[in-house]
Amino acid sequence: MAETMSAPALAEASVATARPAHRGLAYGLRRFTRRRLAVVGIVLVGLELLLAVAAPALAPYAPNAQDFRAVLQPPGWPHVLGTDDLGRDILSRLLHGARLSLAVGVAAVTLAVAVGVPLGLTVGYSGGRLDELLMRVVDSLMALPPLVLALVITAVLGSGLQNAMFAIAVVAIPTYTRLMRGQILSVKQNDYVLAVFACGASIPRILFRHMLPNSIAPIVVQASLGIGFAIITESSLSFIGLGAQPPTATWGSMVQVGFQYLEIAPWFVLAPAAMIFLAVLGFNLLGDGLRDALDPSLRG
Amino acid sequence: MTKYLLRRLLATIPVVVVTSIILFVVMRVLPGDPIIMIAGEAQSDISPDLLERLRQENDLDKPIYVQYVTWARKILSGDLGRSIRSRQPVINVLVPRLLPTIQIGLMAWLTALIIAIPVGVMSATSPNSWKDWLGTVGALVGAAMPYFLLGGVLIYVVALRLRWLPASGYVSPLVDPLQSLKVSLMPAVTLGLGLAAVTTRQARSGLVEVLQQPYVTTARAKGLRERRVILGHAFKNGMLPVVTILGIQLGNLLGGAVITETIFAVPGTGRLLVEAIFSRDYAIVQAVVLLISFAVVFANLAVDLVYGYLDPRIRLS
Repeated sequence: MAETMSAPALAEASVATARPAHRGLAYGLRRFTRRRLAVVGIVLVGLELLLAVAAPALAPYAPNAQDFRAVLQPPGWPHVLGTDDLGRDILSRLLHGARLSLAVGVAAVTLAVAVGVPLGLTVGYSGGRLDELLMRVVDSLMALPPLVLALVITAVLGSGLQNAMFAIAVVAIPTYTRLMRGQILSVKQNDYVLAVFACGASIPRILFRHMLPNSIAPIVVQASLGIGFAIITESSLSFIGLGAQPPTATWGSMVQVGFQYLEIAPWFVLAPAAMIFLAVLGFNLLGDGLRDALDPSLRG
Repeated sequence: MTKYLLRRLLATIPVVVVTSIILFVVMRVLPGDPIIMIAGEAQSDISPDLLERLRQENDLDKPIYVQYVTWARKILSGDLGRSIRSRQPVINVLVPRLLPTIQIGLMAWLTALIIAIPVGVMSATSPNSWKDWLGTVGALVGAAMPYFLLGGVLIYVVALRLRWLPASGYVSPLVDPLQSLKVSLMPAVTLGLGLAAVTTRQARSGLVEVLQQPYVTTARAKGLRERRVILGHAFKNGMLPVVTILGIQLGNLLGGAVITETIFAVPGTGRLLVEAIFSRDYAIVQAVVLLISFAVVFANLAVDLVYGYLDPRIRLS
C-alpha cells in the first residue's frame, strides 16, 4: 500500500515539484559564470580567503617579529613588501591581517543576518503594532550614516576589534530586517503559503520551511555586499584608532600607522589599503553576480 | 502639493524623535562617568563638591528619561548644552566646524556630478561597448576604493611628489577663496569619487530604462538626431534617479567626512566628532550625531519633495 502523506507534506511536495531546486541552482550558476566580472569577484574572494587560511604557512616572518636594523625598508629582498616602523615584515602582517579583517567582516555579517533575518521574518508575517514600532526604530537607525553609528557604538563599548565587529553588526541589522520584512510581505500573498497554512502547518514551519527559502535570495546578495562594507568599516574604525589595537595586525590598523610615514615609506600605507580595496571589490563583484544569478529583477 | 508636503513632513517627525531617543540612550550607557574622567585628568585638585556640582549641571544625577526630556526641551529651544571639556556652549564649538564640512561636501557632490553624468550617459547610450564596460568597471572600482587609499595616493603623488596642492589643512573661502579651493580639492575628490561611482550606475540604469520607452522610439521615428533624442527627450527623465541617489548619499558623504577630515586634517564636523569621542564629550557627540541625522532625514524629505515636483504621479499616489 502506498504511503499516505500528511496535508502539509503534500503541499510541500507540490511546491517542491513545481520548482526543482537543482534546476534553479544550475540555471543560477550558469547565469553567474556568464558574467566575467562576477567570476573575477569570486576569484578575488577565493584568493583572499586562501591567503588568510594559509597565512601561517605563507608568511615568511611572525607578524609581530621586530627587527630594528631593518626599519622602513622598501620592498625588496628579503622583505618582499618592505618593513614597517618597527622593522616588522609587511607581507607577513598583511597575511595575518587578512585573517582578522576577513573574519571580522564575515562574523559581523553573520551576526547581523542571524538577528536581522528572524526579526524581519517575524514582524513581516505578524504585522500590527510590533511591526510598526520596529520599523520606526529601523528607519531611525537607517537615518544615521552607518560609519557614524558604528563610531558611536564602538566609542560606547570601548576600542577593540571585537567591539568594532559588534558595532558593524548592529549597524547592519536594520538593512537585513527591512529587506526580509519586504520579502515576507510579498511572499505571504502567494497561493502556496495560503495552501500550506490551510493544510494546518504551524507558523514556525510556514515561516522557516516555506517562506524563508523563497525570500533568501536578496539576503544572500546583501550579505556578500555587506562583507565588503564590513571590511571597509572595520578598517575605517581601526584607521581612526577605535578598532584593532597595537600590536594586532589588521589592514586598517596598518594603514593608520603607515599614514604617519606616507612621505618616506608610501608602501607601508599602500599595501594594506590595496588589500582592503581588492577584498571589497571582490565581495562587491560577487554580490552583483549573485544578484544577477539569483534574481535578475533586483538589478539596480 | 501642500498636502503632500505636510504629509511628508509629518512622517519625518517620528523618525527624528526615535533617532534622538536611540542616540540619547546609547550615549548614556557609555562606560565611565565623564565627570570622573575630567576629575581624573585634573588629578586630585577637584573637590567632591565640585564633582557633584558638575554632575548636577550636566543633569547626570537624574533618571535617564528626565535627562532626555530636559535635553530635548533644550534642543527645541536651540540650546545644545555645554561642552563637558571646554565648558563652552556646544553651539559655539560646532558652528565654526560646519563651514569646512559643508564646503567640502558640496565640492564632493559637484565632483560626483561632473564625473557621473557624462560617464553614465556614455555608458547608457552605447550599451555593451568598451565605453560602457569602462564606465562599469570605473564605477565598481570607485565604489570599492577606501577613502584612505585614494586620499593616500593623492597626498603622496599630488602634494608630496608633484607639490601641486597642499597636503592638509583648511582655509576658509571667506579669507582666501583661491587657497581655500586649492586646499579643499583633494578631500573633495577623495569624498566625491565614491559618490560618483554610485551615481554613475544610477545615471546609466535610469537612462537605459528611459531609452526603451515608446516616446523615445517615437522621437527617433520622427527622424530626430540621436543627440537631440538623448539630450532633449530622454536625459531629464533618465536623470530622475540621480536626484534620489544624491540625496540619499548625503549620509554616506557625512560619514565619509569623518575619515577624509582625519586624513587631510580638516577642522570640520567629522573631525570634531572623532575628537569628542576620544575625549568622551557627551554633549558634542550628541549634537554632531543629531545634526547629521537631521541632515539625512531632511535630505530624504527634500528628495521626496523634489521627486514629487518632478514626477506628479508620486505625489498623487
